[in-house]
Amino acid sequence: MTARWFPDEMPMPAANAHTVGWWEAAADHRLVVQRCTQCAHTRHPPGPVCPRCRSTASDWLELPGTGRVYTYTIVRQAFIPSLQDRLPYVVIAVELDGADGVRIVSNLVDAEPGDVAVDMAVEVAWEDMGPELAVPRFRVAPVASGRKERP
Amino acid sequence: MVGPVSAGSRGACLVGVGETRYAKWGGIAGTSEYQLAVEAILAAVADAGMTPDDVDGLASFAEDRNDATFMAADLGLRELRYASLSWLPGGGGACAAVANAAMAVQSGAAEVVVVYRSLCQGQFRRFGQGPGNIAARVGPPRIPHVRRASSLLEAHVAFTMPFGMFSPPIAYAMVLRRHMHRFGTTAEQMGHVAVTTRAHATRNPRAVMGDRPMTMDDYISSRMVSEPFRLFDCCLENDGACAVVVTTAERAADTARTPVAILGTAQGALQGFGHGQYSNVGMPDDDYSSSGARGVAARLWASAGIGPHDIDVAEIYDHFTGLVLLSLEDFGFCGRGEGGPFAASGALAWPGGSLPTNTHGGSLSEAYIHGLNHVVEGVRQLRGESTCQVDGAETCLVTSAAGVPTSALVLGRP
Repeated sequence: MTARWFPDEMPMPAANAHTVGWWEAAADHRLVVQRCTQCAHTRHPPGPVCPRCRSTASDWLELPGTGRVYTYTIVRQAFIPSLQDRLPYVVIAVELDGADGVRIVSNLVDAEPGDVAVDMAVEVAWEDMGPELAVPRFRVAPVASGRKERP
Repeated sequence: MVGPVSAGSRGACLVGVGETRYAKWGGIAGTSEYQLAVEAILAAVADAGMTPDDVDGLASFAEDRNDATFMAADLGLRELRYASLSWLPGGGGACAAVANAAMAVQSGAAEVVVVYRSLCQGQFRRFGQGPGNIAARVGPPRIPHVRRASSLLEAHVAFTMPFGMFSPPIAYAMVLRRHMHRFGTTAEQMGHVAVTTRAHATRNPRAVMGDRPMTMDDYISSRMVSEPFRLFDCCLENDGACAVVVTTAERAADTARTPVAILGTAQGALQGFGHGQYSNVGMPDDDYSSSGARGVAARLWASAGIGPHDIDVAEIYDHFTGLVLLSLEDFGFCGRGEGGPFAASGALAWPGGSLPTNTHGGSLSEAYIHGLNHVVEGVRQLRGESTCQVDGAETCLVTSAAGVPTSALVLGRP
């Protein structure tokens, strides 16, 4: 997507030593998840140690960028004034394919808010917010081949 | 009623409570938040028949702007022997702060510990705007980039706030949506919490919303904030302070008022819970669509030596109606997924309900003081002084916030 989804006054993300790699990948339009190089456990948000095997070694697993809506809300109040013109907007939690259950928070874009539903298939739609910052929003995924359409 | 081992002569008791007036957001502008904390502490100490010279400990919980060290100096405490701040965030720590005070007096580290909270949101940012807005207020629009995080929390909420999830009602609306999806919970069931709690508040002269009765129609027609939460699903944002005094059972026997025993305490978080659903949507399905207090509840009942069926009255943290339903499930008053029907049955109502809940009006209708006012109301119930008094109440459950690492107390007769 090329159009900006939220106004410039939106809070910009902040990163620390553990999360900056995720944002660097995002700037390149790569949706990644932190993976333990010892036991392959995936985790998000990124952190310094694997909660399963306690290894501090990790790498970034690139994901296909598809997933399903786990839960959602349709926001109808502008918690910062410049969002007034953006209402209503949809916040979703996406269970990402290929990430062993990892979920991230994002938005459903290019859709009527009322169309959102739990288990809806979605795919990533990158929004460039600057030369060094992109955030992954999601749009409704085309019906995948091999997946039953509703009658 | 069989008393637990820990509630004998070595147990800790609540012997004083104090409150300032509670006012709507911005309603207290001429008195600083810090001074309100002072006034609440002085009132609680006086209620106990003590003076600040008797106080040797102070306790609070995360996100307190009113440091205990300054407080001790300004109050002229003879010697500060104990000061603690629970790590549990937001409203999760009120009961933990009381528990920490109890452990301090039981261990002998201190003898009289005051737990306090002051929240003047009119003088600071509104809590309900969430941490993301700190960034939003830094200057005019700039070239978008990733900033260096100044805290672990800031790095965490970077994964929520650029998506417009920077406020508690948005985060917890998503929890309730998942609960609705799994269990069929309805808006009307959440509305029973709002309407019942408001009815209790109308009897309470301290309640911010005490003069505003609410019907189910009023609830349903209130505006949507973040679906499924309407305005009346959300707690108040207001100004005020309260405090409670904790001391040993031995010392309590000599105080002015009927002491209230702390029969059990528990605090903590489930594995992987982190800061709770506010910054972590990746927890297991059963934990995500819950209060997160399952472990705290189990340890609380073990600590108190009694169970949910022994509880006469409950003060359940109510930042959002729906999370009250989840707490009722996790503390064992009904089955998993049955919080909605339980509330709709009238169980929470005073009088007549099987579990009169939030008899002061809660955070939804009395005041939002991060749930320390729920402890105050628990003390009132066991003294027989509530404006919705449960006849002969001998046990009271008090819980702190659902959805974050949290804590809880069982209060009773010494």
